Amino acid sequence: MGRSSYYHPDTIALHSGYVPESDHGARAVPIYQTTSYVFDSVDDASSLFNVEQGGHIYSRISNPTVAVLEQRLAALEGGSGAICTASGMSALFTTFITLCSAGDHIVSSGQIYGSTATLLRHTLKRLGIETTFVSINDQVALEGAIRANTKMVFCESIGNPGLEVANLPQISSIAGQHGLPVVVDATFAPPGLCKTIESGANVIVHSATKWIGGHGAAVGGVVIDGGNFDWAASGRFPELTEPYEPFHGIKFWEEFGPNALAMKIRAESMRDIGACMSPNTAFLLLQGIETLNMRMKQHIANTKAMVEWLQSQEQVTWVNHPDLPSNPSNVIARELFPDGAGSMLCFGVIGGRAGGGAFIDSLKLASNLANVGDSRTLVLHPGSTTHSRLTHDAMAAAGISEDLIRVSVGIEGINDIQADFANGLRSAQRAAESQS
Amino acid sequence: MKLLVNGFETHVATGGKEFEKKLPTVLFLHGSGLDHRSWALQTRWFAYNGFGVLAPDFPGHSLSNGAPCTSIEESGKWLSDFLDAVGVEKAHIVGHSQGFLSALELSKLKPTAVKSLTGVGTAAAIPVNPMLIDTAEHSPTKAADMMLQWGFGHQTQMGVSATPGMQPIAIGRQIMRNNPLATDLQCCADYSAGVGAAQLVTAPSAMILADGDKMTPIKAGLAIAEQLEAKLVVLRDYGHMLPIEAPKQVLVALREFILGVEQYECGEVETLGDESKI
Repeated sequence: MGRSSYYHPDTIALHSGYVPESDHGARAVPIYQTTSYVFDSVDDASSLFNVEQGGHIYSRISNPTVAVLEQRLAALEGGSGAICTASGMSALFTTFITLCSAGDHIVSSGQIYGSTATLLRHTLKRLGIETTFVSINDQVALEGAIRANTKMVFCESIGNPGLEVANLPQISSIAGQHGLPVVVDATFAPPGLCKTIESGANVIVHSATKWIGGHGAAVGGVVIDGGNFDWAASGRFPELTEPYEPFHGIKFWEEFGPNALAMKIRAESMRDIGACMSPNTAFLLLQGIETLNMRMKQHIANTKAMVEWLQSQEQVTWVNHPDLPSNPSNVIARELFPDGAGSMLCFGVIGGRAGGGAFIDSLKLASNLANVGDSRTLVLHPGSTTHSRLTHDAMAAAGISEDLIRVSVGIEGINDIQADFANGLRSAQRAAESQS
Repeated sequence: MKLLVNGFETHVATGGKEFEKKLPTVLFLHGSGLDHRSWALQTRWFAYNGFGVLAPDFPGHSLSNGAPCTSIEESGKWLSDFLDAVGVEKAHIVGHSQGFLSALELSKLKPTAVKSLTGVGTAAAIPVNPMLIDTAEHSPTKAADMMLQWGFGHQTQMGVSATPGMQPIAIGRQIMRNNPLATDLQCCADYSAGVGAAQLVTAPSAMILADGDKMTPIKAGLAIAEQLEAKLVVLRDYGHMLPIEAPKQVLVALREFILGVEQYECGEVETLGDESKI
């Protein structure tokens, strides 16, 4: 049981958001590869445009297939509503731009995905929105960074790629004292692993491309409104509490309450930015979600086995996973992720960057690519790819060392993954030996 | 808008437009533990189509101050005071669930204020299991869950939403957990004067009911509909939370009835129509 549905998460993953439609009785969710929807009358059209009734107008704003995915993701996370977007990055941009205007400020974890860091540090700054980066679990630093014009505290539930678990109850407590929502990129913690909203998040963002899809066949994102933030009591969000002129002065908080943010994103960002998800993508992601909970069990089991196995390999210099006592956030990780803190792990090999390169280049089963959360095992050297645009200091703050290899553990047979990695480690050893 | 009623600030939703007294008024009343957002979509239609809309949060609910009413009779009196405070002499009254019981009491106290009366997902009496009231006193969130699980029909339980992307259960849960649900439920449990109050109703009436309503079973709704000689609309495959789970169907039924009453009063039509099933 969650906050949005009384069904088991396995049932939600298969059913939520859709009952067989009356015309044909299609059991699977149909793909409405359609742009627009006929109005019953001029009055009906007017009524839809003025939010006097629900329904679809134009697929940039909403689409029947995409809406099923939105409702299913909202139900899985226990949110009051969800808006799907073209990618995880557009979900983030949409969230930031809905809650912030020029002159506003964001407090962000320093340990985040490289492109998100770039968005905050450069693109949003160009629009007049400043960001202060902090070590997110440092209470003093977090509180000290909050200003009168701060609009949110942002973090990833599991930082990328340092794998620091954000102490959401603590962050939420501090943010709450200042009337600030906590926005969490929970991409590394797909629904079911962590009760993100109940732990303190007010808004969740996912790159649905990753574990939610699991197949590596579709790029998409989602913003989930937790429905648990009082935008009026905060006093910082006239965007949601004061009349919104383009919609006849609608006051989103007053009229819609717990789904005010989702309604605002639908009405404004989807209209103006148009970063909508395609119906075909929604269909593909729905296929992934149906097996999400089962896949996650296998991801977690394989990750636990890989962490243990890597620790026993002589070529491995260190291993990092939130479930390990050596991870600084291990205590909160065990609290928030009772079944295991995700299927990302990092490790270093002998031979530094050259050893890491040799390891990755010799892999046959695991793939060297810039993605995570695929059902197949993926590896990457973040220092030369996803985080390469960061300065040395920013990389250090993000928990990235030169020898760091990031692994997204897949659901293949564990013996096959280990055999592939054993081959890679032998290559790393040869590279290290040739260096010396 | 904000309004002082009996010395306490009351939040009144007006459908996104400033309330105009000169227009025909529609007063929307929410059910137990809920607030004006139950009527978020319907109020906007009426406000933008020639009506003055009032959807107050009852005292002590969501954005309204004051102590919650402790009986249906008290809430009827409060509604009378509320209309006086707004300066409205006559209104179409629309009540969901407990809101309809309050409307019956208003009708008894001030019959001239009722231009028409519509009950949505309701009956003349709403018996409440004492265990639910006890749960609401000790654990409002748990009680809200019990009501939402029981109150929404199959489609909403399956995560289907009339508003794309939204999840009505989570929205209802967030609203109900912070409102005086136990007091509301006790008011419903104690109220037995509905049939008597209905005998005094002279205004045209309508009942919008759902065949899947487990909170106020349709049998009880049909009984009061018959007593009131109300225009009857039965919505199939929906539950008790009709304004939220079937907003468009409820709006269609409401506007057909209320526009009909307006036209009838103006002499534009001769009858108010019959029952229908959607």
